[in-house]
Amino acid sequence: MLNIQNDPHLQVETTCGSLLYELQIIWDEVGESETDRDKMLLQLEQECLELYRKKVDQANRCRAQLRQTIADSEAELASICSTMGERPLNSRQSKQKAGSLKEELRIILMQLEQMQMRKLERKKQFSEILEQIQKVSTEIRGSTGYNLTKEVDETDLSTRKLAELQLQLQALQNEKSDRLKQVMQLLNNLKSLCSVLGLDFKQTVNEIHPNFAGSEETYSISDDTLQSLESSIKRLRGLKVQKMQRLQDLSTTMLELWNLMDSPVEEQQPFQHVTCNVAASEDELNTPGMLSSDFIKNVEAEVSRLEHLKSSKMKELVLKKRSELEEMCRRLHLVPETDSEIEYLTEAIESGALDPSSLLEQVELEIAKIKEESFSRKEILDRVEKWLYACEEESWLEEYNMDENRYNAGRGAHLILKRAEKARALVNKLPGMVTALVAKATAWENERGIEFMYDGIPLLSMVEEYTLLCQEKEHERIRQREQKKLQGQLMTEQEALFGSKPSPLKLQSGKKTSRMSNGSGINRRQSSSSSSSVGGTMLQTQRPDSVQSARATPYSGPKKKGDQNDDLDDDSGAPSSNVRKGLDLADILVRANSFNGHEAESHIIRRPFSPVFSQRSPRVNIENSIENQNRSYKDVPEKKIFLKNDLSPKTTAPIEPTITLLKATTDVDEENMTPKVVPIPPPLTTPSTVSRPMETAMTPALPLRGGINGGDLEEEIEEEVEYSFEEKRAGFVVPNTNAKRYL
Amino acid sequence: MTAVPAPTLGRELSNSPLDGITNLRFSNTSDHLLVSSWDKSVRLYDASANVLKGEFRHGGAVLDCCFHDESSGFTACIDSNVRRMVFNYGKEDILGRHDGPVRCLEYSYATGQVITGSWDKTLKCWDPRGASGQERTLLGTYTQPERVYSLSLVGHRLVVATAGRHVNVYDLRNMSQPEQRRESSLKYQTRCVRCYPNGTGYALSSVEGRVAMEFFDLSEASQAKKYAFKCHRKSEAGRDIVYPVNAITFHPIYATFATGGCDGIVNVWDGNNKKRLYQYAKYPTSIAALSFSRDGRLLAVASSYTFEEGDKPHEPDTIFIRSVNEVEVKPKPKVYPNPPA
Repeated sequence: MLNIQNDPHLQVETTCGSLLYELQIIWDEVGESETDRDKMLLQLEQECLELYRKKVDQANRCRAQLRQTIADSEAELASICSTMGERPLNSRQSKQKAGSLKEELRIILMQLEQMQMRKLERKKQFSEILEQIQKVSTEIRGSTGYNLTKEVDETDLSTRKLAELQLQLQALQNEKSDRLKQVMQLLNNLKSLCSVLGLDFKQTVNEIHPNFAGSEETYSISDDTLQSLESSIKRLRGLKVQKMQRLQDLSTTMLELWNLMDSPVEEQQPFQHVTCNVAASEDELNTPGMLSSDFIKNVEAEVSRLEHLKSSKMKELVLKKRSELEEMCRRLHLVPETDSEIEYLTEAIESGALDPSSLLEQVELEIAKIKEESFSRKEILDRVEKWLYACEEESWLEEYNMDENRYNAGRGAHLILKRAEKARALVNKLPGMVTALVAKATAWENERGIEFMYDGIPLLSMVEEYTLLCQEKEHERIRQREQKKLQGQLMTEQEALFGSKPSPLKLQSGKKTSRMSNGSGINRRQSSSSSSSVGGTMLQTQRPDSVQSARATPYSGPKKKGDQNDDLDDDSGAPSSNVRKGLDLADILVRANSFNGHEAESHIIRRPFSPVFSQRSPRVNIENSIENQNRSYKDVPEKKIFLKNDLSPKTTAPIEPTITLLKATTDVDEENMTPKVVPIPPPLTTPSTVSRPMETAMTPALPLRGGINGGDLEEEIEEEVEYSFEEKRAGFVVPNTNAKRYL
Repeated sequence: MTAVPAPTLGRELSNSPLDGITNLRFSNTSDHLLVSSWDKSVRLYDASANVLKGEFRHGGAVLDCCFHDESSGFTACIDSNVRRMVFNYGKEDILGRHDGPVRCLEYSYATGQVITGSWDKTLKCWDPRGASGQERTLLGTYTQPERVYSLSLVGHRLVVATAGRHVNVYDLRNMSQPEQRRESSLKYQTRCVRCYPNGTGYALSSVEGRVAMEFFDLSEASQAKKYAFKCHRKSEAGRDIVYPVNAITFHPIYATFATGGCDGIVNVWDGNNKKRLYQYAKYPTSIAALSFSRDGRLLAVASSYTFEEGDKPHEPDTIFIRSVNEVEVKPKPKVYPNPPA
């Protein structure tokens, strides 16, 4: 019973049984018919059944719902598991384990919750990774790059996917670091380029992307950046190549110029590092600043300087070569072409009309040509040289033969004798020489078909001229000989008549010199004074007399004083001092008469000064000059000095001058002779030598007068002013007042 | 024969002046030769190459010229102007003006001044660095007793020879008055004065074949050394013909000197030993000017009639460049003869 009591069903059944019983009782009492009873009972039974059915339905529905929930949860779990790529391990187990549905549901719900938590976690991971990927790829592709879905794909949250994503991220990160490396490399390149080109690296980089200014981490590594970096590197590289070519061009020219001009090492040193890169490739050229515009400008300046130098040097070189050529021509006795005269060349080069280098080439070509020619000419030229020398010697010999004093013993006489001997031998060989020369020259001319030119004159014509001259000389000689013979005859006749025989030699010599000499008026004078028979000289011999007479008249007073004063070197006794007096006077006279050539000639014979340095003269000369200079304030010291001079090297000083004098006179003699050789004496020279001393004789007048008291000279004041040759020539006249003041 | 010029005279410069040569000077730095002439021109030659490098034409005869540096020079002109020439550009400008023809000029490397002497009886100093124009270049005017005929400089010493045989010695650092006033110890007109390269004195030549060797130092010992000698004379049968001595030039190395006279002869002397070292063959006409090149290896000889006998026909004016042998200019040791017994 307890059981029943405990069991609600039993209770219900009991309750139902009791109720039915009660009902039966009721019914019994009521006396319900059996049918009603049955009907009632059926109804009751039906109602009960209905109620049961309802409850069962309800329970059934509840179970189904539960099942549904479980299934749903399971499905959800499965889906989660599947999205997470995990097997729903414990679901079946739990199903087996779990007794009731509710248990099952609880387990499943628990699992589901767990899974959902994991899923959430996973999702978070995903989104994190995705975010990173997104970030990196934006970095890489740039903001404008395609947009990666930021949303996590809910359907696939498996670890595989995660790993995949992680790989992707890894890859991206790798790429990023690669790119960063690349950027760094590019930046380094850029930096080196900038340094080579002398550009500001920071600025360049800033232009490409501003964030390069920051730290390494923040560097932009996007494609754009890379691209722009690359392009700017490319651009700079192009620039570098271009500049490098420029520099190399410059250095090549520089090297050439150095070579050409042999520039000193010190000059080359500063540019040595430039020129060593002449053949360097683009990569090899890395020295900072090597290609900066400044540096290139610098090099350019140097090159242009060298160019400039070169152009001038070139000119010099051309001129040098040119003069070399001319020298060569001179040596070979060729006449250089006139169109390439040096001045013309200089002008042409300066005006730029001619390129010096081509000119140089041309000149060098010419030199080569002439060198070649020189071989062929050499032999003939040697002969010509010998021949010319022989001719010279011949003419010397001729002249020498005419010198009557040639056998006088004197300094160097033996040498001259020897020379004459040699010359004679040479002269004997002359005809042979000439024929050989002519033969050679003709052969040469025939071979070449051109004339052999010697200093622009055809050699053959020269030789011809010479032979003609020789013949002429020969004729002359014969003629002279005949004349001499005739003279001899005449003289013998005279002798027969008058008994005395004038020396034919003297006469001859006089004639000869007058005919031959072209310059030495002295010779002529000498000869004329010695042989008064020659008519033309009469005039000259008379002159001194007239002067003498002039001297004799009005100036005898001052003259004496002047004589004393002026007696500079004249220690040789009365006659010459007389002459000097005459000179001084004549001088004044001449001045008064405003001199002319005729007057001038008259002074010649009045030796104004005695022979230079005769044994005693220097001393006396000095003493005299003291006397002369007495009037100056220097009087006392000078006297002393001169006295000293006088005393000390009595022996040495005077002797030396004598030697020189001797030499001088011989020299003079020789020189006087030389002109005789010249076949046609220039006509104008004779008077020149004659009148020259006049000028000197004239000038003394003033100082002389200064010595004398000038009282009696007052009236000549106009002519007092001395003038130098230049002043006379310029017609310069000192204003009168000045002249007076000065006098 | 006649086709070959006498080798003894030296090489003849082509394009020589067309009228009398007044002076010629070698550059201190090269073999360039500056030549002034009566033909109103100044010519610049490269003497070693025998090239006429430039020519300037002035308003009147040019009486003197000198180098400033390698690229410029100065001239003294008869039209009273002192000019500066720049050879590279052929440019010339007037440095200043005298009141009369300018006879001679010198450039002082010591002071950077140009000193000019004129027939207006003044000496003027110019600073060529000043801008062109008299007021900026003229440093001073110094009156001389007579017309200036010749000038010479050594260091800071300036010797001025004038007409009337005056010789004034100046110190360029104090030009207010002459350091010394002298009278030429020669009796005749002064032709040329040149200082010794060692700066102790000067040689002075006259129209009367004579050269005086003078010393600046006025002490007795120094003055005892002075002397004069005759030269450029022709002695014929006991008669002398005396020629003016137009030019003196000192050898830059041996301090010997050459003289040139109207006899057309150039003599080389050793002033210390009182010896003539050499006599060159006679030139066609008077020697108007002489100059040794900077190393003394070349001697430029102007053979040009100097108007000593007035206007008359004469030989053409020519410049000869002769190479100088050492023997010709090197002093020979003095030979002492045996003392008299």
